[in-house]
Amino acid sequence: MRLWKAVALLNLALGIGLLVGYLWWGREATRLRRETTVTIQAGAAGLEEREWTARGVVRSVIPEINVLVLTHEDIPGFMPSMTMGFRAANPQLYAGLQVGDVIRFTLKGVPPNVTIVAITKEGKT
Amino acid sequence: MTALGLCARWAHLGAGVFLVGTFAFLLLAGRSDRLTVVAWERTLTRWTRWAAGLLLLSGLLSLSYQAAVVTGHPGDALSAATMLRLLGATQFGTVWLLRHGLLFLLAGLILFRDREESGWDWAAFRGEGLLLGGTGLGLLAWAGHAAAVEPGGLAAAGADALHLLAVGVWLGGLLPFALLLRAAGQEEGADARPFAVLAARSFSQMSLVAVLVVAATGIWNAWNQIGNVASLLGTRYGNLLLLKLGLFLPIIALAAVNRLRLLPALSGEAETVGRPAMRRLASFVALEFALGAAILAVVILMTVTPPGRHTQPWWPLPFRLAYPPPHDVAGAGTRLLVGSQVALVGVLGVVAGWFLGWRRRLVVSVAAAVLVAGLGVALPPLTVEAYPTTYRRSAVPYQAASIADGRTIFATHCAACHGRTAEGDGPEATGLRRRPANLTEPHVGQHTAGDILWWLTHGIPKSGMPGFGDRLSEAERWDVVNFLRALSAAGRARKLTEVVEPDRPWLAAPDVTYAVGPGAPRSLKDFRGRRVVLLVLFTLPESRPRLGQLARNYDILQTMGAEVLAVPTDGGDQIISRLGASPRILFPVVTDGAKETVAAYSLFQPAAWIRTPAHVEYLIDRQGYLRARWTPDSGGWAEVSGLLAEIQQLNQETITGPPAEEHVH
Repeated sequence: MRLWKAVALLNLALGIGLLVGYLWWGREATRLRRETTVTIQAGAAGLEEREWTARGVVRSVIPEINVLVLTHEDIPGFMPSMTMGFRAANPQLYAGLQVGDVIRFTLKGVPPNVTIVAITKEGKT
Repeated sequence: MTALGLCARWAHLGAGVFLVGTFAFLLLAGRSDRLTVVAWERTLTRWTRWAAGLLLLSGLLSLSYQAAVVTGHPGDALSAATMLRLLGATQFGTVWLLRHGLLFLLAGLILFRDREESGWDWAAFRGEGLLLGGTGLGLLAWAGHAAAVEPGGLAAAGADALHLLAVGVWLGGLLPFALLLRAAGQEEGADARPFAVLAARSFSQMSLVAVLVVAATGIWNAWNQIGNVASLLGTRYGNLLLLKLGLFLPIIALAAVNRLRLLPALSGEAETVGRPAMRRLASFVALEFALGAAILAVVILMTVTPPGRHTQPWWPLPFRLAYPPPHDVAGAGTRLLVGSQVALVGVLGVVAGWFLGWRRRLVVSVAAAVLVAGLGVALPPLTVEAYPTTYRRSAVPYQAASIADGRTIFATHCAACHGRTAEGDGPEATGLRRRPANLTEPHVGQHTAGDILWWLTHGIPKSGMPGFGDRLSEAERWDVVNFLRALSAAGRARKLTEVVEPDRPWLAAPDVTYAVGPGAPRSLKDFRGRRVVLLVLFTLPESRPRLGQLARNYDILQTMGAEVLAVPTDGGDQIISRLGASPRILFPVVTDGAKETVAAYSLFQPAAWIRTPAHVEYLIDRQGYLRARWTPDSGGWAEVSGLLAEIQQLNQETITGPPAEEHVH
């Protein structure tokens, strides 16, 4: 075979290899994107009721709407540390609580509809 | 082991450069059927076979060396499992596989080359060799330091690849060029001389371009990996680069002689003029190649040395240059002006003298003397004493906690002489020959953090300032450096008012780490690029009305992109409980880290040492700079609308400057 033909074939093969690699990469990217979407949707839709326990400090008690505002630590699997309001399952839970109290609280529900179902007082801040 | 690994890398790089250069040179020189040329090509082909073999072998050895390097066990150099993991799971492995696939094809091409029947065959073989070899060489950039630059790795690696390719066609072409010249310079090589002269001319043109590319990409790479003079002079990587440049300069000098003197002498009567010049050119080119091989060895050492940007520089000189002139030398400004102008005249003289040609040597040397004299006048006022640690980067970030610790250490170890307020008037200052420095003056900010560290460690000879290297740990000394820097900033902070100076950030806000009750620890830096922070140092009960006012307006403040961070001056014991239920305060009230924050930020109050005022508020912009300060005795933010106007001002700014430094310099 003539040398230049061999070289041309070689380059063709390299070019095809490059193209195949590029296409494979693209397909892989699409597949990963689809999987991510599926996972996110599954995470959003198909959740069952769960329970979390974390510590927090009481920032405000708003009995009119049955809400406790807490600055809480990270709640693994649910949300990072922040200040926010949580509904209480019943008013007895926060009876006697004061702003600045450090509590251990239990959340129950299907996100984002969770309520505080248990509170134990730990100290003051 | 290491030596063997490095030799393998060197051989790999050298063989790759040689192959790229040879194929490029063969393409450039063109076809010829003269006997000497054909014999030369045959020799080269034989060499390329050896080079291809060496390339693959040294590639394997490099892989096994890398396996030993990444695990740290010399025994893993022969472990197939480690090598497979290296190939499958690292960027080094991917690049290695890609490159060796291409190099394998290249070796096949060279070994099983068929007879060349036409011009197509001729060009196809050489072109393919250049393509495969060049890609294989250029891809090396993605396995080196350049690919690790963050961000902009692609541009850096691209520049490095271009650097490698240019080195390949230029340095690699020197060897075939020298061989051709030698063959043509011999008695019986007369038939190849016209071919050699033409090849020499084209190669000279091409290598000029290649050297320019090498220089440009080299500067770009050096900027990425080294970035400043201190790292160039003070780190191993920087010194290796200097060595590389030191080897590069004689090559350039040789190349200039070749281009300006020998190249014109090649043409003309081949029998009389050309041959001696050709033979001299051959040996000069071979010398260039030898120097080039030495440079490649230095490059290999650089591949196993951490880049200068990422190591602590050790400044080798007893002085450094600083602008503006740091000392108040009489007439420094005039000297600088006059000297720089004289030096400029000198530079112009050198350039003009070189090109004019009239009494070149005399004119150039006089102009050079003028240049040196000009620099001699201008530079001395700019020189400052420097120490090995002058360009050290602080190991401890500029944080409130560090400043607070530094403040305590200062009170125990330094206040006796420097005074409780650091003005150089401590009780023991009177017994000293020289008055201790007033550390609240602006000159402190002109020294590098490394300078201050050096004085803290080793003292200042003949001044009475002792060294604390044996009494304070390095972290503690950095704490003191951070405190002194904050103190110097505090002096300038007197100018802060409750009005934001538009677009003029100049005072870095020390970072603060804090927590609210059991909430996760956060830092001021978390708000960078996201929120303006109103840092409120408060005392109960005086601050209660103000906190209530802020709490009522918290939703507006948040809507405006601001966060409020309230820090109790009394340490914060049960502070949230003491604040009580009404008004409803929902912004972060610091319970952990309050003491340090107050210790650091109280320095930035109008009368830092006299008292800790009951209430002070600081506005910190999204870049991490302190922009405004308010105390209740000035009107300003007493109405929240005044505060909102300043926040709005910060919101309107287009961010141009760099974020505030996390480390002092």
